Amino acid sequence: MRNVIRVAPVVVVTWAAFALAACGSDSNEETEAVRGQLEALPSAPASDKAVAGEATLQRVEGRTTVSLRATGLEPGTEYVAHLHTGGCDQADPGGPHFQFDAEGGDEPPSEIHLEFRSGADGSGKATTSTNREVPAGEAGSVVIHEAGGEQAKIACAELEGGHAHDSAGEESASRGGEVPTIVVRNGEPVGGVAELEYSAGDDVRFEVNSDVADEVHVHGYDLLQEVPAGGTVSFDFPAEIEGIFEVELEGRKTQIAGLTVNP
Amino acid sequence: MTLLPFAHALAARQDLPIPAWLFAWGASIVLIVSFVALSVAWRKPRFEATHWRPLGAGLSRVLLSAPVQVLCGLFGVALLGVAAYSGLRGTEAPDRNFALTFLFVTCWLGFPVVSALLGDVFRPFNPWRAVGRATGTGFRAIAGQRPVHMAYPQWLGRWPAAIGLLAVVWLEVVYGTSGGVAVGLDPESAAVAALVYSGYTLAMMALFGTEEWCERGEIFSVYFGMFARLGILGVQDGRLARREPLSASARWATLPGSAAVVIASIATTSFDGASEGPLKGAIESSFDWFVDRGLGLTAALRLSDTTFMLLCFAGVALVYMLGVCGMRTVRGAPPLAKLRAGFAHSLIPIALAYLVAHYFSLFVFQEQAQFTYLLSDPLGTGSTDLFGTAASGVDYTILSANTIWYVQVAALVVGHVLGLMLAHDRALAYWPDYRDASRSQYWMLAVMVAFTCFGLYLLSFSNQ
Repeated sequence: MRNVIRVAPVVVVTWAAFALAACGSDSNEETEAVRGQLEALPSAPASDKAVAGEATLQRVEGRTTVSLRATGLEPGTEYVAHLHTGGCDQADPGGPHFQFDAEGGDEPPSEIHLEFRSGADGSGKATTSTNREVPAGEAGSVVIHEAGGEQAKIACAELEGGHAHDSAGEESASRGGEVPTIVVRNGEPVGGVAELEYSAGDDVRFEVNSDVADEVHVHGYDLLQEVPAGGTVSFDFPAEIEGIFEVELEGRKTQIAGLTVNP
Repeated sequence: MTLLPFAHALAARQDLPIPAWLFAWGASIVLIVSFVALSVAWRKPRFEATHWRPLGAGLSRVLLSAPVQVLCGLFGVALLGVAAYSGLRGTEAPDRNFALTFLFVTCWLGFPVVSALLGDVFRPFNPWRAVGRATGTGFRAIAGQRPVHMAYPQWLGRWPAAIGLLAVVWLEVVYGTSGGVAVGLDPESAAVAALVYSGYTLAMMALFGTEEWCERGEIFSVYFGMFARLGILGVQDGRLARREPLSASARWATLPGSAAVVIASIATTSFDGASEGPLKGAIESSFDWFVDRGLGLTAALRLSDTTFMLLCFAGVALVYMLGVCGMRTVRGAPPLAKLRAGFAHSLIPIALAYLVAHYFSLFVFQEQAQFTYLLSDPLGTGSTDLFGTAASGVDYTILSANTIWYVQVAALVVGHVLGLMLAHDRALAYWPDYRDASRSQYWMLAVMVAFTCFGLYLLSFSNQ
């Protein structure tokens, strides 16, 4: 009994301090953004071989938004892109079109289509949004082809085709194979502040694709690169400083990623 | 909405959270050390009387001579002037401007540590005290009499400093917001605050007397002076003298409001650490609540931050008061008020440990900036290169994450042990019977374990 009385205050006070601290843990709902790099396909006509860019698919509260940005297209040309269920490396890149309803026909809203016209500089972008959520793993890729003529497939951006349930950022960063891309729209990172995690000595590689002109600043490592509106910059440096660092749009003072380097 | 702890505005990196295994080790060591301390502790108070050993008379005479004092004072005034000028005229970038790093890192974090080792090193450099003393001397020379001061209300004690301490950290952590986003304090606001504070301090010194105000109301004298009580040097009978480490702290909390000063120190450091971690969700909810009630974004953010900062103060005070009330139940205990003031000094090492644990890496990195480019180019505009170091940068590789973790845990454990020693010693002085004294210390042990483990907790999970 004496011992209980002695220990009780320790327990009570410690508990009180911890309870004080613990109230209010983070309950932010993550929105899932899937990103893929646009790469020219073998079937692309010679004039479109230099196409590059990115496709993004984001599911937010039962809605799905698909965005596409491309450069290196033929200037002033109509293009169409579709969401496919398969990966880019299939014999028929992308496989069949994604459809919400098998009986729903091959036009939106059953399918997801993006139509756009490239600018004088050969760049183009498109965004479409539906009020339904594409089931996880079924958003295989986005494939672009010309709207008229032979409609040859030009380029493909792999989303979930090769690997279901992959969200951009942390996972692909640690896998090492693919380079995560942080997509900035209206000066804000799509899908929230990206998390990049590495171990000391790793190669830190990521890209920033921005629709606004700014400077991308990796704090601590103090790396600064200008990104033009609609452009992409790549970072590739050894993770030699341990700690947590901000990656920021310097001019807007907007954090776009958190870089963690563990020992 | 994002919240930035103070370090964000200046430093380009944040500490990694302590890994779970190190947290477990740290907490275990704290518990084991505590119980070992109880069983092997001494039985006669050791710190109640300070034993002074005077240093060499020549050294003492030189350091305490009027010209050296005047020079030190001038140096302090000049540096405050440089900081204010840089803040007003220099770049808006917090990390490139001399003002913020000098005021909030070099001084605000540097003086507590140096003072705790050496003694009151801030006193000779205190710019306001220097101006106050010079004004007093000038007054005497012209008027031929000592300036007449109002009697300081004794009940007020160190409360102005305790509230001022909260205000300084509020300015540092809470004030700098923009559109509902914490952006950190900007150099210009820091400079304006320094000038406003200078005016206020000089007015108070004129009212109550320079030394009187430095002892009670001048935030920095009181705050740094508190840590200086742990240090080994002091002035005794007009001579520089050595004393035992920690010993001078036993007579620190003799003025009302002293406990509030040390509690404010622990609470503000906790708030800075917790606002990004365990308190983040709660602060965000209260921010949304205020916004929903029609408050502007800036007002809502400042109000919710302020609320939680005060809650931290109340929480730390509550834990301390639980310990004090517990001790009151032990046979032969002195009155509550005496206990409350009597054990306040045992929290000073904990407050210092919190500072070291939270800001050690920031200090090491920012001091590189302080002594290279900030010194050569205080305005941060690229227009000057006084010492040829304007182009230097901060080398972030000099501290590995492991080094920082070990320093953090070691600081908390050492602070814990020192706090226990001071509390044990005071208990021996208050309770005539050794067994009662020991029994009372279960309560302080609980308080210290709570603070230390909470400190570890803030470092380990707060960013996860």
